[in-house]
Amino acid sequence: MKLKRGKMLIDPPASASSDIAFILIIFFLVCAAVQPETGLSQVLPKTEEEKEQQEQSKNIEVSITPTSIVLDGSPLQLPEFTQRLNAALQKKTRETDRVVVVKSAPNTPYPIWIRVSQVIEQAGGILTLELESKRTITVE
Amino acid sequence: MKLPRKKLTASVPAFAMGDIGFLLLIFFVILARAQDDSHIQWQPAKLADIKMAAAPLASVAIDSGYKTYLDGKKISPDELSAALTKVLVGAPSGQRNVFLKVHKEAQASHFEPVIAAISQAGGDLVHILEPEEISPKR
Repeated sequence: MKLKRGKMLIDPPASASSDIAFILIIFFLVCAAVQPETGLSQVLPKTEEEKEQQEQSKNIEVSITPTSIVLDGSPLQLPEFTQRLNAALQKKTRETDRVVVVKSAPNTPYPIWIRVSQVIEQAGGILTLELESKRTITVE
Repeated sequence: MKLPRKKLTASVPAFAMGDIGFLLLIFFVILARAQDDSHIQWQPAKLADIKMAAAPLASVAIDSGYKTYLDGKKISPDELSAALTKVLVGAPSGQRNVFLKVHKEAQASHFEPVIAAISQAGGDLVHILEPEEISPKR
């Protein structure tokens, strides 16, 4: 013979449902607003004045334009530039020789600039910007 | 004849303490987000192999109109270095993160002076970017 179980009904207090909904809304709003951000970090020592021209000429020079990347005078596309830069930097053992001077055309788009900057960093180069106002900054 | 006063006792219901604590926590979390620059219109550039960025001391943005902002307030690139130096003063090396949010259509003439200003202030630059989805090779 089967015995019937008595059903237990528990009603949550209806007056608290608006409080619960309000707290849930705030919780999800805060969660949506505090999304972690992703990025590429670069350590920037303080801006330095440009050193003597003779010293600059020893470093690898990269010019960026909207259509091409010029490495030591030869225009290249990104995959070829990556190979050539890696090869050039492998020969350099001293940290001072691994400086890569980057000069950008004023109309260079940010996505191209950031790609070249990432390639230089991944190849172990020390990115140095040459600005038109004759200021040089070093990016590790 | 003196009439004895009734003692009034006010007690806070103990079951509400959790709710109160939770609301206070959310309130302070929102207040702590003082560097709110959510009103700035910009779209990040995409790049592969990027990492999660640590919490910043300051956030610099270049919006779709190529205007520069420091912590959500408009600023000229010439004034940026001095303003950033004030924000970063006293912060130890390695904990001077400055987020740089550049609109993807910005050009070198817009972002290079800003990078120079961050460098001059001694900030640790973090370019904020969107991870690029690499399409599977066929």
